[in-house]
Amino acid sequence: MTDRRERRGPRTVPLAELAPGAMAILREISDQESRAVLQSLGLTSGARLRVCRIGDPCIVQVRSTRIGLSKHVAQSVQVTVSGGESW
Amino acid sequence: MVAQPAAVLANDEELLLPAEARGPRVPGRVVLAGNPNTGKTTLFNILCGARAKTSNFPGTTTAVRTGRSQWPELAEPIDVLDLPGAYDLHLDTPEGEIARAALGGASGQPDDAVVVVVDACNLARNLVFASQVVAVEQRAVVALNMIDLAEQRGLTIDVVELSRRLGVAVVPMAARKGIGLDALRLALLTPTRTPAQLPPANATPEVAMAWAEGVASDVTSGDRGVDGVDRLTERLDHVLTHPVLGLLVFLGVMTGLFWVLFALATVPMDLIEATFAHLGQLTETWLPEGAVRDLLSQGIVGGVAGTIVFLPQICLLFFLITLLEDTGYLARAAFVLDRLLSRFGLPGHAFVPLLTSHACALPGIMSARLIPDRRDRLATILVAPFMSCSARLPVYVLLTTLLFADRPAAAGLAFAGCYLLGAGAALFTAWIFGRTILKGHARPMILELPSYKVPSLRNAFMAAKDQGLSFLTTAGTVIVAICIVMWWLSAYPKVAETPQVQELRARAAAPGLDEAAATTLTQEADALQSRAEQSGSFAGQMGHAVAPVFEPLGFDWQLTVGVLTSFLAREVFVSTMSVLAGGQADAEVDEGVVSRIRGMTKDDGSPVFTQAAAAAALVFFVLAMQCLPTLTVTRKETGGIRYAALQLGYMSGLAYVVGFVVYQGLRAAGVS
Ligand SMILES: Nc1nc2c(ncn2[C@@H]2O[C@H](COP(=O)(O)OP(=O)(O)OP(=O)(O)O)[C@@H](O)[C@H]2O)c(=O)[nH]1
Ligand SMILES: [Mg+2]
Repeated sequence: MTDRRERRGPRTVPLAELAPGAMAILREISDQESRAVLQSLGLTSGARLRVCRIGDPCIVQVRSTRIGLSKHVAQSVQVTVSGGESW
Repeated sequence: MVAQPAAVLANDEELLLPAEARGPRVPGRVVLAGNPNTGKTTLFNILCGARAKTSNFPGTTTAVRTGRSQWPELAEPIDVLDLPGAYDLHLDTPEGEIARAALGGASGQPDDAVVVVVDACNLARNLVFASQVVAVEQRAVVALNMIDLAEQRGLTIDVVELSRRLGVAVVPMAARKGIGLDALRLALLTPTRTPAQLPPANATPEVAMAWAEGVASDVTSGDRGVDGVDRLTERLDHVLTHPVLGLLVFLGVMTGLFWVLFALATVPMDLIEATFAHLGQLTETWLPEGAVRDLLSQGIVGGVAGTIVFLPQICLLFFLITLLEDTGYLARAAFVLDRLLSRFGLPGHAFVPLLTSHACALPGIMSARLIPDRRDRLATILVAPFMSCSARLPVYVLLTTLLFADRPAAAGLAFAGCYLLGAGAALFTAWIFGRTILKGHARPMILELPSYKVPSLRNAFMAAKDQGLSFLTTAGTVIVAICIVMWWLSAYPKVAETPQVQELRARAAAPGLDEAAATTLTQEADALQSRAEQSGSFAGQMGHAVAPVFEPLGFDWQLTVGVLTSFLAREVFVSTMSVLAGGQADAEVDEGVVSRIRGMTKDDGSPVFTQAAAAAALVFFVLAMQCLPTLTVTRKETGGIRYAALQLGYMSGLAYVVGFVVYQGLRAAGVS
């Protein structure tokens, strides 16, 4: 995981591939079908996220909202890692 | 804080307006809108003195609800509308559509006032919706709800600044405790509007969100954003959403629920049963022999007793489910079950409708509206009635106790097994349908996990009381009526004594016979006669006519009558059997309902409830569709009679086939 934390420009990874406790910034949602719903829940570009549980389904927190997502959806959420530690 | 003492308002003569003089100050209607799970229905209930369903799960309300609220400031009651929660006013979802139809003058009621209920603990996201409403509504007030929880978490919100930024009044509230109501009414009666900088109408989600975050962070202190976690929620989720532990906890919770239902409720049940047995005895001793006495002791007391004994269980079931819903656990259960459910073609969202169906399939099917995708919704609606509703509960208790007379542990297991069988049949059916008529996969889950809350005991008590009362009302009206009809059908027409009986009586009356032998003969004659009477009665004729259909399942004519009448309402089965048992000569009135039914005999004198027949009847009741209201709701919710017909045909067919297999299998295995 360490290589991803190095600043190498805007490299995005799917949310589903982060470690628990990781912080990330949302960049893009590639899945057309779920984009609008995710945005209405606060998952907009630039939002700061925290990964609370990984796997299928996983939990991500944006501000004080916790959202459960199927892996399929988490795979389509592109983020850049912004640090954070395990808890 | 904008707290306003109620007494001052109520005494203000000027505010007491007659209906005709309702100036522009008094809104025509009050519409409650907002994000899901923010407390709109809680507020509605307080305003209107109603008991609409609330729960700590986003998407509880699925249709507009109207009520009337009497305010101390107004002479006439005012209409209040409770909308389903929506995350975004402009999103193409059913909730969004309903909200758009009710807001912005779209309903043709320009004098509406709108209360945007927002969750103070979740301000930023809630403000997006609030800004959308404020942009289209002249008269809007923001109710900053759950202020009690925000304070607990150390959040302080600058209400004056928030009001300035939104351009409308902001009222801090704790709807569940009734805090802030006076201030809310005042704000609604004295509309104020100041210019504000809202995001533009065509703002992208990013722009709207950025605006909301800016406002939220300006007015809130003590918030630590994404790093600030609700410790309790975090800790509980660590276990409850764990892929393995979470499933174990889920199984534990469900087992606990059914154990309580089966084991704990027996105490009050025994009490009720004893009381009714006593009542039956009283009628027998006080009334002269005849039709009236029979009607009372066999028809009414017997039948109603067979229903009311289950009151404690109904109340407990609703009490526990309401408590559970209020904690926020349901969203976690839906979360951990998502993987399992999606394997069978159901979405994680289906969990709540399916759990609700354990109380009753009607609200279960209606709550399926919270499922976003039509295919998923149809699949859920079609399988929901397989869940064991509270009307089946009495039947399960009766039949499992008959099956395992002296082994309460085995009876308890069989009872739990019924619930499992129902759930299993639902999954199996969803899988079959997903491969045939409802091709496709369940939509992947996107589900907000609300923070845990301490459940409201009051809510749970109220739910138990309401459901108990409605159950008693049914027992007192419909079931009494059915009992009377059933009794009449099973007691008439009277048949003349058969030659066999006449011969027995003649022998008993013969001179020189000792008394004991004479009594035996008379009893034998009575038993034969009552059997002949029952068999020849209208109910008997009906039962005999249909019995061949159910014969392969081991049902005799009496059991067949029980099954037929339970199409009116499943719980009628117990009272019907009780009435039929009461007509038998060897029935003792002071026996409990269950032992009376256990003693029922067929025309040839052998027991009705053999192990194999009782087991077949049990699975039949688990699987069969015997509920007209459910079919009506299915038809309404799916928009056509097709799916209702499919549900009826499929479920009845499955029940028959499985009942047949169980009966014949048990017989082949040597179980009588
Ligand atoms: N602590 C606290 N809990 C509240 C308050 N208001 C509502 N609740 C709880 O919040 C949960 C959601 O309440 P509901 O009234 O069902 O919310 P709703 O806005 O109607 O939700 P939907 O119908 O899903 O849109 C319930 O568990 C309520 O008991 C409050 O002021 N304080
Ligand atoms: Mg509601």
